[in-house]
Formats: sequence, C-alpha cells, structure tokens
Amino acid sequence: MDFSVLTDQFASLTFDGIALGFIYVLIALGYTMVYGVLRLINFANSEVFMLGSFATILVSTKIFNYTIESDSITGFKLVYTMLAMLLGSMIVSGLVSVLIEIVAYRRLRSRTSNRLTSLISAIGVSIVLAESVRIATSSAPMGAPRLLDKAILATVWGADIRIDTLLVIIFAIMLLITLDLFVNKSRLGKGIRAVSMDYDTSRLMGININKVISTTFLIGGLGTGAAAFFYITVYEMTRFSIGFELGLAAFTAAVLGGIGNIRGAFAGGIALGLIEMYSSAVFGTQWKSITAFVILVLVLLFKPNGIFGESLQQARV
Amino acid sequence: MLNFNLRDWGAGLWEKANKWQRNVFALAVIAGVFALPLLEKTFFNTPSTPFVMILFYPIGIYVVMALGLNVVVGKSGMLDLGYVAFYAVGAYTAGILGTRTSLNIWEILPIGIAFAMLSGAILGASVLRLRGDYLAIVTLGFGEIIRITALNSSAIGGANGITNIPNPPTTFGLKFDLDNQVHFYWAILIMIIILIVAIRILSVRRPGRAWESIRQDEDVAELMGVNTYKYKMWAFVFGAAVGGAAGVLFASKAMFISPNMFTYNTSILVLAFVVFGGMGNIWGVILGATLLAYLPERIRFISDARLLIFGLVLIIMMNLRPDGLLPRKKREKIGTKKAVKL
Amino acid sequence: MNKKIKASAALVAASALAFGALASTPASAATILKIAYQGPLTGPEAQTGTDSIRGVKLALKLYNAKKPAVKVEVFEGDDQGDEAQGGTVGAGIAADPAVIGVLTAYSGATIAALPSYKAAGIVIVSPSATRASLTDPTSPSYGGPVFHRIISNDDLQGPALARVATNGVKDPTVFVVNDQSSYSTGLTDVVKKALGTAFESEDAAAKGTNDFSATIAKIKKTKSNVVIYTGYYADGAKFLKQLRDKGYKGIYAAGDGVLNSQFPKLAGKKQSEGARLTAPTVPLEVADPKTAAAFKKEFGADPGVYTTEAFDATRILLQAISAGKTTRAEILAYVKTIKFKNSAGVTLSFKENGDLLGSGLMNQFVVKKGAIKLNGKA
Repeated sequence: MDFSVLTDQFASLTFDGIALGFIYVLIALGYTMVYGVLRLINFANSEVFMLGSFATILVSTKIFNYTIESDSITGFKLVYTMLAMLLGSMIVSGLVSVLIEIVAYRRLRSRTSNRLTSLISAIGVSIVLAESVRIATSSAPMGAPRLLDKAILATVWGADIRIDTLLVIIFAIMLLITLDLFVNKSRLGKGIRAVSMDYDTSRLMGININKVISTTFLIGGLGTGAAAFFYITVYEMTRFSIGFELGLAAFTAAVLGGIGNIRGAFAGGIALGLIEMYSSAVFGTQWKSITAFVILVLVLLFKPNGIFGESLQQARV
Repeated sequence: MLNFNLRDWGAGLWEKANKWQRNVFALAVIAGVFALPLLEKTFFNTPSTPFVMILFYPIGIYVVMALGLNVVVGKSGMLDLGYVAFYAVGAYTAGILGTRTSLNIWEILPIGIAFAMLSGAILGASVLRLRGDYLAIVTLGFGEIIRITALNSSAIGGANGITNIPNPPTTFGLKFDLDNQVHFYWAILIMIIILIVAIRILSVRRPGRAWESIRQDEDVAELMGVNTYKYKMWAFVFGAAVGGAAGVLFASKAMFISPNMFTYNTSILVLAFVVFGGMGNIWGVILGATLLAYLPERIRFISDARLLIFGLVLIIMMNLRPDGLLPRKKREKIGTKKAVKL
Repeated sequence: MNKKIKASAALVAASALAFGALASTPASAATILKIAYQGPLTGPEAQTGTDSIRGVKLALKLYNAKKPAVKVEVFEGDDQGDEAQGGTVGAGIAADPAVIGVLTAYSGATIAALPSYKAAGIVIVSPSATRASLTDPTSPSYGGPVFHRIISNDDLQGPALARVATNGVKDPTVFVVNDQSSYSTGLTDVVKKALGTAFESEDAAAKGTNDFSATIAKIKKTKSNVVIYTGYYADGAKFLKQLRDKGYKGIYAAGDGVLNSQFPKLAGKKQSEGARLTAPTVPLEVADPKTAAAFKKEFGADPGVYTTEAFDATRILLQAISAGKTTRAEILAYVKTIKFKNSAGVTLSFKENGDLLGSGLMNQFVVKKGAIKLNGKA
C-alpha cells in the first residue's frame, strides 16, 4: 500500500480517471437503458463495444487506407476522418445491438419464461460474438493508426492535459446532454420512460412496445459505439477480449450510479474511473480489475439502489 | 418438432419394469460405464490424447461439476456464473496441502470440500438476498476475484502456480500414477455415483421440494412458509462442495495448477452443459456434459471453436428448447421416507 | 412416437459414423518417428510458434530428403502458450509412442507438461524456454533429467538486460514492470538482483491490462529514467505507447518476450524508436545465410524469432536418430552426451542440468525506424 504515488500524482491520476470514467459512462448507458426498460442485464453489450472498436479501426484502415505506420493528419481531413470513424462505430454498434435484441431476446419476451432463460441467452450471444472475433483475429490485437497527434495542450497542477483525452471528455458530455434531452423531451423518449415504469400498462395504453424496445437497444448501442470510438482514440488498440475486460466494469458503474437512469450512469462511470485509478496507484495495477468487482458486491449488498437510483423493487428479495 | 420428450419416454419404460429388471439394468449400466476405457480401440478414440485420460478430464470432471451446478441453477433457479471459484478452491487446497504437508489426497479431499463449502457459505451469505440478474453478475465477480487473488498471491505460487502436487496413494491395491490412468477414471466414477445417490435423496425430500418451489416462484414460496434463504444456502453450499471435490481430484491428477486454469470460461462451459442437458434433470445433465465434453476432443477441428459452439448451444437451447435434452419432470416425485427409491 | 425415435437414432448413428470417418487418424507406420513441437501455434503468440515450427519443418525436410532409413515427421502440439493447455497437450504428446523427442516453446507451458514428459522419459530440447528454474535442481519446476535447452536461460538474460538497459545512463533509476506470467516474474527476479542499487521500484500489470496510467504515474513519481518491461510483446507495445504519449523520455528496455516483428508496429514508429531488447537468439540470416535462403524459398516468408534455435534443436534430435538411436531412452542418453555443431558453426554440448555447456549467447537488439535490428552481443 503506497499512498505516496497517489498524493504526488493526484492531478494526473484524477484527469486520467475522469477520461476513463467517461468511457465507462457511455458503455454503461447500454446496460442501464436496457435494464430500465426490460429489467434484463444486456450481457452482450460488452461485445457491442468490442465490435464497435474494431469497426472504428477498420474504417480508418479499409476505407481511408491508413496503416498503423501512417503519420498523423490535421485540419479538415482529420475532422472528417474522425467523424467517419465515429459514425462507423456508432452505426455498427447500434445495428448489432438491435440485431441482438431480435435474435436473442425477442422470442423470450413473449413467453412467460423466467429471467434465467433470457440471461443465459444473453450470455450465449456474448460468447458467440467474442469467440467469432477471436477466431477471426487469431487472438491477435489490432492496432489503430494514429491520426490525431497526441499533443499535450497544457499542464494543470502537474496533470498533462492531452488533446485526445480532452476531446473524449467534451464529446462525451455533449452526447450525454443530447441523450438526456431525447429521453426527457421527445415522444419516443417518453415511450421509453413509460415502459420503464410500467410495462403492462404501457402496452395497454397502445405504446408500440417493439418499437420502444428496439429504440432502446439502438440508443444503447449508439452510445456504446461512441464509447468504442473514444476508447480507440485514446488507447489505439483493441482485441477480442476487450468486451469482457471493460464490460463488467461498465456494468458496475451502471449499478453504482443507480441502474435504470442516465444520470446514474454518468455518476457511476466517473466515480468508478476515479476509484480504479486511485486504487491502482495505491495497491498496484494488478488489483485494478478486482476493484470493480469488490465495489459491485459492496454496492449490491449495502445500497443496491446506487447513488441516484430509484427503488427498483426487483433488486432485492 | 423438438417437443419429443426423451425423458418421459425413458421414465415410462422405467415405470413399467419390475424391480428385477431395474436392478439388472442398473448393474449393467454401471458395469458398462466402468468398462468404457475399452472403447479406446474403436472409432470413439480421441486422436490427440488417450481416451482413458479424456474420460477423466474433461468428461468425468465436467460431469461432476455439471451435477453440482445443476443443483444450484437447475433445481433452485439461481444463476451462478462464478462456479469455477469452488473448483479453484478445491484445487488450490490440494495443491497447497499436497505440497507442504504429508497428507495424502484422500485425506485432503474432505478438507478441500470443507474449504469449498466455506467459500460457498460466504458467497451465499453475501448474495442470496439478491435477485437473479444481480446474483449472476456478483457470482461472476466472485469467480474473478478468486482467480485474480490467486494470481497476485505469490505465497500460493502466484502466476507460477503450484507444481509437484502428489497423486493419490495406492488404495485397495490400485496405483494412481501416469501409467494407471484408468484408476483415476474409476475414482471419479465412484464420486459421480455417490453424487447421483445424494442428489436423488435430497431431491425427493424437503430440500428438493423447497428448491423446486423457489425455482418456480420465490415470492410465493416465501409466503407459503418455505425458508427460502436457508434452502438457497443449502443448494449453494452443496454445489460448492461438489465443485471443490472435483478440484481436488483434478489437481492430484494434473499435478500442476495455475490461476489461468480457473477462468470465467470454465464457469460458462459448465453452465452450457447444464443448460444443454436439461436443467434440473440429473441424467440430462450427465448426458449433456458427456456429449459436450467429449465431442471437441473427438473432432479436432471444432476444438478451437469449442467455446463458440457452446455459446451457440446456449442461444439455441434457450430459444427453441429451454428445457434441454432431457427436461425435468413436470412435477417432482413427492417421496415419503418409506418410498424412497433410486 | 416410435418412428421419431427410430429416425433420431438413425440420424445419430449416421452422424457418428460420418464423424468417425472424417476424423479418424491413420495408423502410423512402424518406421516413422516423430518429433513434437509444443508451442503457440494459434492464439496471440502464434507468430512465435509459427516461426519456430517452420524451423522444425525445414530441418525435417532437409533430413527426409536424404532418404534415410527412418523417416521423421512433426507432431504439432498447440498449447497457445498457455499453461493449462500445455498440461493436456504434453500428456497427448507423451502418449504417442512414435514421438521420441519434443521441443517446448514457453516456460510456463513447459512446466505444466513436465510431469508427462518426465514419466515417459522423452527428451526435451527447448529452443525458447528461458526460465532459470527449469535447470535448477533445487527448484520444484526442475526439468531434469529430460529437459535441455539450446539457448541461454534468464539467469544470463537478467544481468544482460540490466546492462543493456542502463548502458550510457548516468545515475540510472530503474523501474521494472512484469505481467505476472511465469516467464516474466522469473526474469524480473534476476533483473532486480542484477540491478542492485539502480533498482528503484516495480509494478505488476496482469496480462491483458489496457490502461497503464497508474503504472506510469508511479514511474513519474519516482522519476525513473529507465523502464524495463519483462512480459510479452502485445502488452509491452501498449505500455510503451502510453509511456511515450505521456511524455516519458527515458530508456525503455525489454526481454525476449517482446521480440516480435509486430512490436514496433503496435507501439508506434515514433514511440518504439530506440527501444532496447535482449534475447538469447540469433537471426537465421546472420547465423547461416544459406539455410535462411532455403527457408525463404520453402515458406515464402522470412525466418523469425527462435527459428534458428528450433532448427538446431530439431537437428540435435535428428543427429541422434542418424546415429541409430530409435527409442526414447537411447535418444535421451545420446542427447545428454552429444557434441553438436549448430548453424553458426559453434560446437555445443549440455551440462548435467540441461543448460548449455560453455559461455551462453545473449544478443541485444534495438528498434530503429519501426524495425528490430540486431545490435551486437549483450
């Protein structure tokens, strides 16, 4: 246990923690929105993220023909390339997410089957996607071309503010505000909230359940796809197992913040990013992944509603 | 198309037979199973590893684990995604005690089971008040915590694992070493038989009925006076004991264990066996585990895609035939003490 | 109901027969012996396995072309560099009576497979397992009497890596990072000892770690000017990239686990410039250009990491066979007392504990312009 690193590098760790946290936030959206509507843990969301990350890289290498050895670009070219990568990732993730719902969950909704069945089906989807990619890539990692030069913009209290991490934070905030507005103000958003609150009554009131659910999965997928794009921008590498590595942490973030609502995902994600960063500094990086699990267990034991959660009465027996 | 009920057909035959026929049949099956290694000379043989070794691991070990997980998932309806943790606890107990004390494996076995049960109780106490989905995620986390802790603890070998774990000593004149693989297989067969008997007994008595009611509707069960917490704990601890036993045996045969052998994938594999075979049905689970453990060894080209196929199995089974190959009975037999039959 | 049963039974029987026909192995002829390669043929480390097994296959091809009395084939044992699989693959290799010798690739997987090889008395000639404990009679993972290696072990690589990393650095403060694998922790121990007072601090980042921010924060705090990474190339590349992107200007050095042509690409051309590596291997083009040319012709690719050593290890076993030894016991005894001329023309023989007799080879490499270049002895 070594607190000296934490105090010495506090600003740096905080900034990195927030950047990592935003990525968690965006992935957590995929979990939290689906759970809110279907009371189902969308296990396969982690693979939606993984596929989005590959899509991001493939857009830059296959469509724009950059390679891992390319030099970075600037200006207008940079902007439209990155936008294309972002869109590519979001579209792929969104589509995959909707497809997953149709293939793995839709049938099981109509049955009176217990949640165990849907959960196992979800796990099956997750495995199939991850393994398919593993076989296709021979477990090798895929590197991304560096298009955005990672210039250090400023140094604040000892923390280097890099342009890529700053961009992640800014875009993530914009995305979250947009999403929040959509869910709260738009018609479809109202439908989503209605179904969250009461599935059966919503159906009786004539809300098109399938449309609402598909939209929920789509939005979750879009958010996750954006997360994948930001992840690649910062880390520039992905592989088949990245879904599992990050997915559980993101789910923990969703639960920590209060599953079922967007602000919860935000709070939980940032909190988890910071906690992971600080605990790695104090205990050593080899304990990082345990941090998420331990927090998950503690939260579910003592405060299953999370920071912002309403009482999701199903959480405890 | 898929609603042919193999289980009911088999049960129908069984009901019609008299006691004589049943006993002869059971003995024949048991003898046949013990003699399975003879199949090595036929096309059942596995190309890359000796058939008799396959019978022990992966088939035997996974059948044991599937039976244990079946009690937790199949009979009681609790989705445990971290089942590999108990397997790891048993294996590491064998590893540590086997290399540092003079106890032999048969003496270590009850200790390993006890430790596994303890972990099951600890995990159970923490999570049993949670609902299905949360239970699943937390148990998954628990499995990972065990693995990563083992990885980070150099006192128990860390990344290097534990080597030179001893084989079991010569028992009843049977040697347990690399030349006598078939004895390991028989040992695990005996364990499976004991398990089947134990589970059958539990199933027809109160624990089994309690599990069934919890699986069907926990709230109703609670209202009807079933102490759901106690019986869920029973299921958990029983499952953990079984996992631990499998772990001890595995460690004493492989003679080397490391944290990489106890990953989330193993938990998923065992879950696939249970789901595929028929949740809640002992014979279904045995059949499912045997098939799914054997086939990748026999057909090498699917060996690398094994996990992929299991994922597909999970999706297909859940969507088309969620009851598995051999579904559980519609109503469990209600047994009185007098009428307990096997 | 009956028809359905019959139909499904027939279907099952038919498919079983079909599977059997498809997948049954041909019986092996009596005068064919096999040399096994146990290593990562698939998976993230597949490049190393592929490079090495090609060395094996080339040696076998050249040998079989001379129409010897006993033909020799390769037995491919894929363990993906993973210990758990190493144990099962090793058992399978040991159980095949035609196998008279095996090359094992990774230290962890070798240790897992040792019980099977020891019990079967099969000789191991490893081209790349460098963990020192394998030849240490006091260690629980001692490989004797079957284990031999044709390269120097980490007891030699550790000090070499420490030297290479701190070469030209005034007042070095060294930060060591391992990936918690068997190989990495072993190498780390030796490096730390060799560094002595220059060693500052360390961290462990499990294989598969994506974010090294905390480790880098520690490095910054300790103001270390040298970083040594003792794991494998994929994480080593990730780590180096993040290290440089966060403004680290000091030396980055790593062991042979990082020696892989993908390393500079994944780390980034700019970031990997100047990275220093050590490895007990010599590129085939340098050791024996003629064989390297034959290799290129055969496989249409350049020889890679440990190709030379795999090639030589195979030739050691082939030399035993050529001398008329055909059983495992004979070949093990022969290898123990062998005098063998390797590709570079140096005569080798083994010590009792399986290490090479005489001075060990250790080379250093440096990354320049996105490619790894040999930089002399370490």
